Amino acid sequence: MTHAEPVKTRVDPVTAAVIQGALENIAVEMGHKLMRMSYSSIIRESEDFGAALTDATGRQLCECRMSTPLQSGPIPGYVRGILRTLERRGETLHPGDVVMHNDPYGGASHGPDVGFCVPVFRGDRLIGFSVTTAHHLDIGALAPGSCGIVDAVDTYAEGLQFKAIKVFDRGTRNAAVWHMLRDNIRASDLVVGDMEAQIKAAEIGAARYLALVETWGLDTVDAAYEDLLDYSERLMRDAIRALPDGTYRATTHIDGYLDDPDPARRDLPLAVAITVEGDAITVDLTGTAPQLPDKPINMPLEGTVDCAIWLTLRSILLDSADYGPIPQNSGLTRPITIVAPRGTLANPIFPAPVIARFCPGNQLADTVMKALAQVVPHQVSAGIGNLRVVAFSGLQEGRHWVHMEIMEGSYGGRHGRDGLDAVDTLYANTRNNPVEDIESHLPLRVERYELRTDAAAAGEWRGGIGTVREFTFLADGGFSLEGDGHRYAPWGFDGGADGFTASLKLVTAAGEEVALPSKVPYHKARAGDRLVSLGPSGGGYGDPARRDVEAVRDDVRDGLISAGTARDGYPAAMGTDAGSPPIRAGAAPLTSP
Amino acid sequence: MRLIGVDVGGTFTDIIYCDTDTGAVAVNKVSTTPGDPSQGVMAGLLALCTAEGIAPASISTVLHGTTTATNAVLEGKGARAGMVTNAGFRDVLHIGRHQRVEHYSIRQDLPWQSRPLIARRHRKTVRGRLVPPVGAELEPLDEDGVRTAAAELAAEGVESVAVCFLFSYLDARHEDRAAAILREAMPGAFVTTSSAVSPQFREFERFTTAALAAFVGPVVRRYVERLAVALKGAGLTGELRIMASNGGVATAATVAEKPALTLLSGLAAGVLGGAAIGARAGRRRLITFDIGGTSADIGIVRDGVVTETDARSTAIAGFPLLMPMIDVHTIGAGGGSIAYRDRGGAFRVGPRSAGAVPGPVAYGRGGTEPTVTDANLVLGRLDAGDALAGGLRLDAEAARRAVSAFAASMGLGVEAAAAGILAVIDSNMANAVRSRTVQKGIDPRDFALVAFGGAGPLHGAAVAAMLEIPEVIVPPFPGLTSAMGLLTTDLRYDAVRTQFGTSGDVDLARLTADLDALEAGLAEQFRADRIAAEAVSYERSGDLRYMGQGYELRISLPPGPLGTVEIGMVWSRFHAAHAAEYGHAFPDGAIEIVNVRVAGTGRTPKFVPPAPPSGGSLADATIRTGPCWFTVEGRLAPVPTPFYRRAALPAGVAVAGPAIVLQPDSTTVVPPGAAATVDEAGNLVITLPSPRLRP
Repeated sequence: MTHAEPVKTRVDPVTAAVIQGALENIAVEMGHKLMRMSYSSIIRESEDFGAALTDATGRQLCECRMSTPLQSGPIPGYVRGILRTLERRGETLHPGDVVMHNDPYGGASHGPDVGFCVPVFRGDRLIGFSVTTAHHLDIGALAPGSCGIVDAVDTYAEGLQFKAIKVFDRGTRNAAVWHMLRDNIRASDLVVGDMEAQIKAAEIGAARYLALVETWGLDTVDAAYEDLLDYSERLMRDAIRALPDGTYRATTHIDGYLDDPDPARRDLPLAVAITVEGDAITVDLTGTAPQLPDKPINMPLEGTVDCAIWLTLRSILLDSADYGPIPQNSGLTRPITIVAPRGTLANPIFPAPVIARFCPGNQLADTVMKALAQVVPHQVSAGIGNLRVVAFSGLQEGRHWVHMEIMEGSYGGRHGRDGLDAVDTLYANTRNNPVEDIESHLPLRVERYELRTDAAAAGEWRGGIGTVREFTFLADGGFSLEGDGHRYAPWGFDGGADGFTASLKLVTAAGEEVALPSKVPYHKARAGDRLVSLGPSGGGYGDPARRDVEAVRDDVRDGLISAGTARDGYPAAMGTDAGSPPIRAGAAPLTSP
Repeated sequence: MRLIGVDVGGTFTDIIYCDTDTGAVAVNKVSTTPGDPSQGVMAGLLALCTAEGIAPASISTVLHGTTTATNAVLEGKGARAGMVTNAGFRDVLHIGRHQRVEHYSIRQDLPWQSRPLIARRHRKTVRGRLVPPVGAELEPLDEDGVRTAAAELAAEGVESVAVCFLFSYLDARHEDRAAAILREAMPGAFVTTSSAVSPQFREFERFTTAALAAFVGPVVRRYVERLAVALKGAGLTGELRIMASNGGVATAATVAEKPALTLLSGLAAGVLGGAAIGARAGRRRLITFDIGGTSADIGIVRDGVVTETDARSTAIAGFPLLMPMIDVHTIGAGGGSIAYRDRGGAFRVGPRSAGAVPGPVAYGRGGTEPTVTDANLVLGRLDAGDALAGGLRLDAEAARRAVSAFAASMGLGVEAAAAGILAVIDSNMANAVRSRTVQKGIDPRDFALVAFGGAGPLHGAAVAAMLEIPEVIVPPFPGLTSAMGLLTTDLRYDAVRTQFGTSGDVDLARLTADLDALEAGLAEQFRADRIAAEAVSYERSGDLRYMGQGYELRISLPPGPLGTVEIGMVWSRFHAAHAAEYGHAFPDGAIEIVNVRVAGTGRTPKFVPPAPPSGGSLADATIRTGPCWFTVEGRLAPVPTPFYRRAALPAGVAVAGPAIVLQPDSTTVVPPGAAATVDEAGNLVITLPSPRLRP
């Protein structure tokens, strides 16, 4: 795996290291400024944004490590989509242009993730792009909020579509576009403020990139990042080459629309066949369910499906806990070929709607991991608990308030360690909102936010545990939800038990309880109504009989599982007389896991 | 007045004595005793007193920088701690912000889950709830529930408790009442509340800060008590003061009560020392650059004022810390940083470090991988014939062998590889400085770099050149700058309270009353410390943001009552600060005040560095001339370079680079084209040619 001989490079290794450090520094600065300047909590608290530099053809040079993978990952696609669109229209780029883009059939991840792209010119030569993306609270769709638009019938119903729109043209603000944004987007003060912050952050990146090129010369910087691409590619190929050749298959299911009378919209398979051949991988999604022509859980191939696959493969094969940081750039994806038949969920045909592709995309990532688990069982987790996204909204004095909350999942157990509890999984890595921030600024009260009890999948290494969250409306309003995993539990691995499904119910002020499916279009709520969410728990890993007895007892002592559950899940460990093990003063150090 | 500063580091305990009346100064350096650092402190302190003929009883104050709290967290060796919190929120510490540390990792660990400060079994929940905006009581505190929790915690052997309730920053009554019940039921236990530790919003961060306080509280209290007893026993009856993370010192009694104050105290002293050195050289805009074996610690001084972090940028061992802190940016780059070829064949230096043990290959203590120190030795910039502090001699041949093997793997010559190691580590350090300057709208070319720590003077000039910084200041005792910083501190306490208010709709009377109350609380503290009122001053500030943003900027507030004129001035300052920090302002945006703060300073006598010896000549100071490798006009080549003894350098005489200046605690590199002069304060000031040296 290691090369005995020095690697052939275009620039000397020292210069390459210095330029790489400078590029990463630029991306970090872009993200830092974007999250600090932005207004809506989905960007500043949840960190659902991306920042990256690309070369003039859209190949990614670097990305901001604070941003979430599903935002930075698609940036090369945004740039390519912009370039294709401009070429089709016969337009060209000039210094001072700022281009807005959110076309999910043109490289964007989905409509709410609006990209702002600043072309970098040296003199009159285009040398690259500085791009920020961010999830916007509202994009002018059929209902308030930009998530849970689960009943959009086509891309036109998903909100405004921007296909390479110059919001600044040679330095001049395109006022008409900005008026349209203000007039067609709810909570537009926040959204437009966030867009301006995106532009400023992208401009800073452009200025820094130009300065870097002035310092080192374009040829050297070009050569250094060609080396960087080769470097990332080499690591990926080395890791693939270490795998036995063969084809490894897995299938999982998404809920689809559980309350829909049409069975074609429920219980939809995602199929993955990974073929390893030498130092290359082909990921074939044949067998995945046909697209839903009028429901928005289709996944754009470019911007969602490709990112889900790339990011999962690198997280497993080049795990940064083992490899340290590796530059995320287009070199990593060179050894990977994706086959996705047109007209399936994984390669929909325009104008099939896609706005709610988040959960299926992450489930696809999980399916990729399930296929690879057969080859590298020590590098994967058992099935993950998927995320769900809820939008709360209402009118206060005639103005909209919108709040998005990304509800975490959890990881399955891993070889040698339990699954991570209550975190974002695989291709998402956002942050929650502080309870004290939510209640200080919104007519919502958080009644409960803690780990579920008795919902830990048994295994030699148990699955991570999901959360219970309860929100009460303090004023009339509404909510919508896009989620999954209400029917299909995360898979257990190698003898571990399956995980626990998620659920959602509305408890009305009058005390009536309504169970809700994993997709809820805009739903009115009255003051006093309470939304109760149980998050999913990841699958168990390995035979529960092999779990360390003390680890089982620790979970009982910590109140994560009851003594009865421990006896049921781990009969070998607990025996019949385990009862409720006492907490021993002076027992194992508190800091032990 | 006679002062002693004692700074405990990972390897050495540094002691510095000064008499502020006569200007007499003495220093001592002994090995740190990790098991009980107070042993090393006492041994070094008494040895210095004996050697200098100082009566212990004549010392009025011992100023102490300690890593006891820091190490307890880093090593996970804190107290068995418990928590009492709201029903429904048992796992705030465990869920955190539900974000993973690494994007691209299945096998990562989350420190707050794998190494919890407070185990779930010791986190007890009780009914009771306050709600915003003013902390009204939605549900009364279940006092019986608190008593039950206390009984359980006592039975479980818990020795410290953090009381953490939602919205306690608005009203502390539930936390205070619960704490009182716990103290009564658990005599001897360390009980703290999240509102007393840091009354700021964002529950995960505040609860974690309180949990850190509970985790380290008993450990710090025992250490401070043990040291106080030892000092008294040795006849040192003066006052003991402990360095706090905010850049001030606190009395031993205050630290015993609020141990979280010291969580990052070790880093603060270095910045203060660097700031004092710069001030003495007449510079008010400084970048402090403290490099040891493992890390580079960077601080910024603007207009004579040390920069503080904002509330959301501080963490220790992955745990967020909501405490007033000097802004110290630390990266893994130091003399022990290891150079290696990674799995993709790339040239890497650090952050992995050989540390003090085994240390660089040249130390001959079992290190096998080439380090930055080894590279400096290969290039002739360190003198193998000159013993380092502690009598260590360097093995140049071993260093060369290690660098040579690495060079072959990279396809480079041995000197080119050594120069590459320095170029990469210097560039990492320059990027770290950029993140605290250029990225915040500060132009480093207007600043001087103060280079200290054992390795700071080796790298200072090269890093300054990369940033076009025109001047590097090397203090008289680079390796003792942190200890010296202790002798430049004042007593300092901070008070903060979250108080939301929006421009156009601020309750100015309430804001003023809050500030007055915070100030009165600090005045009480200074009275308890027996500081005369006239020696105390206060500065007011606020954390402000545009309405809707999530990050605040610190804006100074005028003293006295806030009227419409004053608050208008505050809004203007905020717009300007936002534009400076981020390159953009939203002039029409409504502004929100999030926190108000008061910092109180109780001035105490300071260290005055002695004047350098006068007379002498460069010839007297010259040890020898030898080849050192430098890159000149793009070519790496050996250049004949004079080596000088720092103590013998005459003041006011320019030394032309290239030159190497040796002293027991550090080595200074003066690159070709630069010049160095000892100034009146005994600093070695390097001036760099402009334009820059690289590339």
